[in-house]
Amino acid sequence: MEKVLEILEEIRPDVDFENEDSLVDGGVLDSFDIVALVGELNDEFDIEIKPSDLVPANFNSAKAINALVEKLMDE
Amino acid sequence: MSYTSIKFLIFVTVTILVYFLFPKKWKEYKWTVLLLASYVFYLFAGVQYVGFILFTTASTFFGALWMDKMSKSSKNYLREHKADLSRDEKKKLKERTKRNKRLVVALILILNFGILAFLKYAKVLFMGGTGDLLVVLGISFYTFQSMGYIIDIYRDTVPAQRNFLKFALFVSFFPQIVQGPIGIYSSLAEQLYKPHSFDYDRFRQGFLLILWGLFKKMAIADNANIAISAVTDHYQAYGGTTLLFTVILYAFQLYMDFSGGIDISRGVAQIFGIDMMENFRRPYFSKDISEYWRRWHISLGNWFKTYLFYPLAMSSLFLNVSKNIKKSKFGSTKVGAHIAKVLPTSFASFIVFFMVGVWHGANWKYVAFGVYNGGIIMLAVLLKPVFESVLKKLHINPACAPYTAFRIIRTFILVLVGYVFDVAPSFEESMMTFRLIFTDQNLKVGYGEISELGLSKVALVYLAICAVFIFIISVIQERNAATTIRSTLIKKPAIVRWGVVYLAIMAILIFGVYGSGFNAADFVYAQF
Repeated sequence: MEKVLEILEEIRPDVDFENEDSLVDGGVLDSFDIVALVGELNDEFDIEIKPSDLVPANFNSAKAINALVEKLMDE
Repeated sequence: MSYTSIKFLIFVTVTILVYFLFPKKWKEYKWTVLLLASYVFYLFAGVQYVGFILFTTASTFFGALWMDKMSKSSKNYLREHKADLSRDEKKKLKERTKRNKRLVVALILILNFGILAFLKYAKVLFMGGTGDLLVVLGISFYTFQSMGYIIDIYRDTVPAQRNFLKFALFVSFFPQIVQGPIGIYSSLAEQLYKPHSFDYDRFRQGFLLILWGLFKKMAIADNANIAISAVTDHYQAYGGTTLLFTVILYAFQLYMDFSGGIDISRGVAQIFGIDMMENFRRPYFSKDISEYWRRWHISLGNWFKTYLFYPLAMSSLFLNVSKNIKKSKFGSTKVGAHIAKVLPTSFASFIVFFMVGVWHGANWKYVAFGVYNGGIIMLAVLLKPVFESVLKKLHINPACAPYTAFRIIRTFILVLVGYVFDVAPSFEESMMTFRLIFTDQNLKVGYGEISELGLSKVALVYLAICAVFIFIISVIQERNAATTIRSTLIKKPAIVRWGVVYLAIMAILIFGVYGSGFNAADFVYAQF
């Protein structure tokens, strides 16, 4: 979780990721941020996030993103 | 059968009656009324087109079942042999299934987009003519919608539909077949199949939305279209002032035409209990071009984002380019880090806009339109730090109202530049338009030309009043985005409600362009 937050803050220092739970639905992250985030997460955790994983539910909060990472690491 | 015709009005009324009077004991078959109505609507356009939509329906339906079978048998095998397979063997099996599914999805995509491309490009490429070989009703929209479904099946994000007729309804639903919105299977399909009972509130809201759409299309867009087609018919005859006027009028006309048509579609669907996605969110209030494309033709933008932009931008090729820049010496600088983050992604978005341009038709002006929009977005993203530092140096607060107003006006001008490619008949003539707009401004000549375009002075003043009216409505909508004007309206006393309905109907009857001997203009987007 710490690492995910660190990556998020590096991409968008202006957002309060610990409390935001509508990152995609609320339009906080744009598609450029999402792609940058995917690249970083893939490298950091040695996973492969696919376009089919890009549903708002997976990216709306730092917690959700962390859950997605953990799920993909298990596979 | 045009959405603005009396025939359509009768057709919708009959369908509504049959749907809501459908016997309760067979209510799980209620959706067949919508399917039948959709095919009747489609047959009105011409029997010769039905083959195309049936081919797309069948190829997509069976392709999806085929992939579904592959996934299921692979999953079953894995479950049964869980104990005796190594991790590597399991991985290999999964990869093989994925590869086979990829072949199927590629085949379906190539076949269906192939037909679309052939119809749009064959005449220009092989026969030396211009325009489409054949304009099949709604082919772009039902092709996009079905191909979205087949990609969802490939990605395993929705279950495959096992009833052919149900799937045929998803592809052909008549309110959206002409010009969208392009529905997504996961949010639209179940709504189509569910037996909805009559809801007076929904009926009133849908009715008001249809009325609003008819007003925008018939009483505004079709009036403006008279002047625009007068110009495009003899494009070379006009000076810079008239051309500038035409482009601005076109911005108004296209928005009223397209969003009016979508309002009619959404209104009809709403009466049946079906919520279709919004396709426009006051696009001319956008503060930059990317925002504009998130608010204009939203369903098309979403389609391209989900099925083309993300797969491209997230492909290993694009991500590796980014990674390599970041690792290089250049990547350790501030500029380098920014480039590494946005270059591959902005290139992917450039490709998307290029494709959107190409989809509009076989004409260089559409390619130019795509390159222009993609180019602006790419530059805006790449140069973002530069703009930010300039603002800082000038001590401008990016959130202040004057700067926001400046951004909105600037974006609208950029949109107008894009529209020049749309209005002008060819690429050469669009270049000529830019030249004349900057070098040939003459108010007196312009006034003389504009008054000869088939619109009387009164009609021009009327259009100007409409523009102000739409602007005010848009500001109200923008400030109360959470609710709609019509849901506020239905809570008002009967006299207010009926007053508004009466005024709207009178406006359509008095100012609407229709009548015998006059064919209401086709919806602009029906031709794509």
